[in-house]
Amino acid sequence: MTATRADSPIRQRTTAPRKEKHHSKGSILRHQKRAGWWFIMPALVHSVIFTIIPVIAVFVLAFTDYSFGGRTDFVGFDNFVELMGDNSFRAAFVNTIIFAIVVVPVAMVIALLVAIGLNQRIRGLSFFRTAYYVPTVTASVAVGVVWLWIFNPGSGLANEVLSFFGLGRASWLVDPDLALPSLMIIGIWQGIGAKMIIYLAALQGVPTQLIEAATIDGANKWTVFWNVTWPALGPAQFFVLITSIVSTFQVFDLIYITTKGGPGTATNVLVFDIYNNAFQNLQLGYASAETIIMMLLIGAFILIGRRLQGANTND
Amino acid sequence: MNRKAASVIAASAALTLGLTGCSSGGGGTDGPEEDPASVEGTLRVLTPSFPTNNEGQAAFEQVVEEFQKTYPNMEVEPDFATYQNLNEKMSTSIASGGGYDVLVSGVGWTAPFADRGVFMDLEEFGITPEEPGEVSEELLQAGVFEEAVYAYPLVVDARAIAYRKSAFIEAGLDPDDPPETFEELKAAAEALTQRDAAGNITRPGFDFNTTPGNYRQAFVIFLSSTGVDLYDGDEPNFNSEEGIEALQFMADMIGNVQEFGQQNAAQTALVLSDEAPMGFVQSSIDCEIVIECDDLAFFLPDNGRPAEMIGGDLSSVGANTDYPDAAWAFIQAMMSVENQDRIALMNNKIPASNEVPQDAASLSNPLAEFTFENLDNGIYEGGPANWLEVRSIFGPTIDEVLLGQTSAEDALERIESEALSG
Repeated sequence: MTATRADSPIRQRTTAPRKEKHHSKGSILRHQKRAGWWFIMPALVHSVIFTIIPVIAVFVLAFTDYSFGGRTDFVGFDNFVELMGDNSFRAAFVNTIIFAIVVVPVAMVIALLVAIGLNQRIRGLSFFRTAYYVPTVTASVAVGVVWLWIFNPGSGLANEVLSFFGLGRASWLVDPDLALPSLMIIGIWQGIGAKMIIYLAALQGVPTQLIEAATIDGANKWTVFWNVTWPALGPAQFFVLITSIVSTFQVFDLIYITTKGGPGTATNVLVFDIYNNAFQNLQLGYASAETIIMMLLIGAFILIGRRLQGANTND
Repeated sequence: MNRKAASVIAASAALTLGLTGCSSGGGGTDGPEEDPASVEGTLRVLTPSFPTNNEGQAAFEQVVEEFQKTYPNMEVEPDFATYQNLNEKMSTSIASGGGYDVLVSGVGWTAPFADRGVFMDLEEFGITPEEPGEVSEELLQAGVFEEAVYAYPLVVDARAIAYRKSAFIEAGLDPDDPPETFEELKAAAEALTQRDAAGNITRPGFDFNTTPGNYRQAFVIFLSSTGVDLYDGDEPNFNSEEGIEALQFMADMIGNVQEFGQQNAAQTALVLSDEAPMGFVQSSIDCEIVIECDDLAFFLPDNGRPAEMIGGDLSSVGANTDYPDAAWAFIQAMMSVENQDRIALMNNKIPASNEVPQDAASLSNPLAEFTFENLDNGIYEGGPANWLEVRSIFGPTIDEVLLGQTSAEDALERIESEALSG
């Protein structure tokens, strides 16, 4: 019965072209796949060498006492247990969270307001857009040095401004109560430009028909913003939030240039503490354990951010 | 965990530990019996002693020229570091298994890196604690770890206290009898401090000349001035009556004669720019820049022992070098009288060698003369193999005391506990 079916001329006529067509489609798909791999190969090689292997190495080293020389032993969870009792780590952990909680939303709000302002037809628009973006493209070292001068207790601009208004002088970066807020000011200032550009692009993508329709229907400016513009900014908001969380958690150069984590541990943050443990104290295993905790913390914050924004998995 | 994931982690561990393994071993391709003129290769030199400006590059070229008189066929590849990134460069070179042939580092680096097998014992070149070569036995102590010499002093950074004689006269103090003890220093600083009507300090009476997180060195100086060293071998000495007294003295000075962390925008010693009448200074001064150089005089704190803190640049031979003799020859080229004088002058330090004459350019200023004469009173920080780790705890913990957040007793107890745990 099977032979009869296979030998049937009708069957042969109908199946032969279909097989050829199927083969051709598969071949094209394979070629496309292969081409795709070739296209992503440079990025993939880069990611494997500079991201994936180091991340795996961090997970391995976190359970060792590796310290650039001497014998390396597996120490289980000892590094994590030790971190829990480490004053410097605890201060860095708390400072990082406070820094992120203040800097991310404040910078986002200011950047949005600036973007809305720069989305209007005002004089010197290009100048203002450039001026707000300049801190983003300026080297952090230069930014740090300039702010060091601004916050100098003796001859800095900040105290001169306070004096002008008859207010007392502040010790800014050397006062443990003021040092972290001072750095937050710098962090907010430095982060506005990049956020502003994204918001500006998103604002210019809001359909004008919707705004016009809402206006014709009698909606005031606030109602238009809240019901038309704000929802349209959703994807941009999400992108800004995620990149802001990651960048504030990774703040390092600013701390390195200005306060070195001091006074005391008032401005110590996780990345700076990891750097100190790895390259100043030469405890790479310990620093790797700290890195894992920081990765988990960033993940937790991103998750919370997603929940707060009501983002779905397709965002 | 599935098998693929386990394989990846195992491979990563192998890679990581493989890298670690690469850092040990090595052997020489030159030797005492080989003619230096026939040795070919590249000598890798890590050094913070040469600024990355034209003057620094020219000075380095002079050293290379001197070295190539003996090793004409060897190339020299410099890596100009700073003290800020020296640790990163040294540690990553160990991890990569590459390493440097010559490493110039600071006093605190000797024990941690000698213990990790990064530096070579200089006995191979005839240098032992008892046979210091052209530097003094006292100075050589900065490079000694477990009774062997691993680092050879090149130029010295010495700390003293400077004061302005005119300010002393104005405040009713005797400029020929500077304060030395804690009580005298505090009384003089208070007399020299100027305040506005609201009581705010407008001119500090004493300048610690340091940034937050770095008051450790001042503590080491004041502690040593009581006759007690930071460490006795590997045993911490600082959590003692003398340690508490020294730290409490500093806490009493902060807020009383100078605000915590006060510095000028250029972060230079305030006494040199006449922004303070008295304070810490380092090694050497340029009287063309300093305001009224003749008005300055110097002394060392003395609560039983005069203490001049010694830091500076020390040269080591990399333990993994293929060219140990060439590396030592390069160190000797840096140690030549002309080169050492040049390096000292560029870095505002003083030469370590006894052979540099007193009239050398780097010693021809009043502060350098004073610190050079007092090298015998030199004291050092560091000591044990875990010093870099302990040092990082010292800074913020001392800050806490100076800011009134914790007591001197609790702070020193905490640091000692950390020092002993390593």
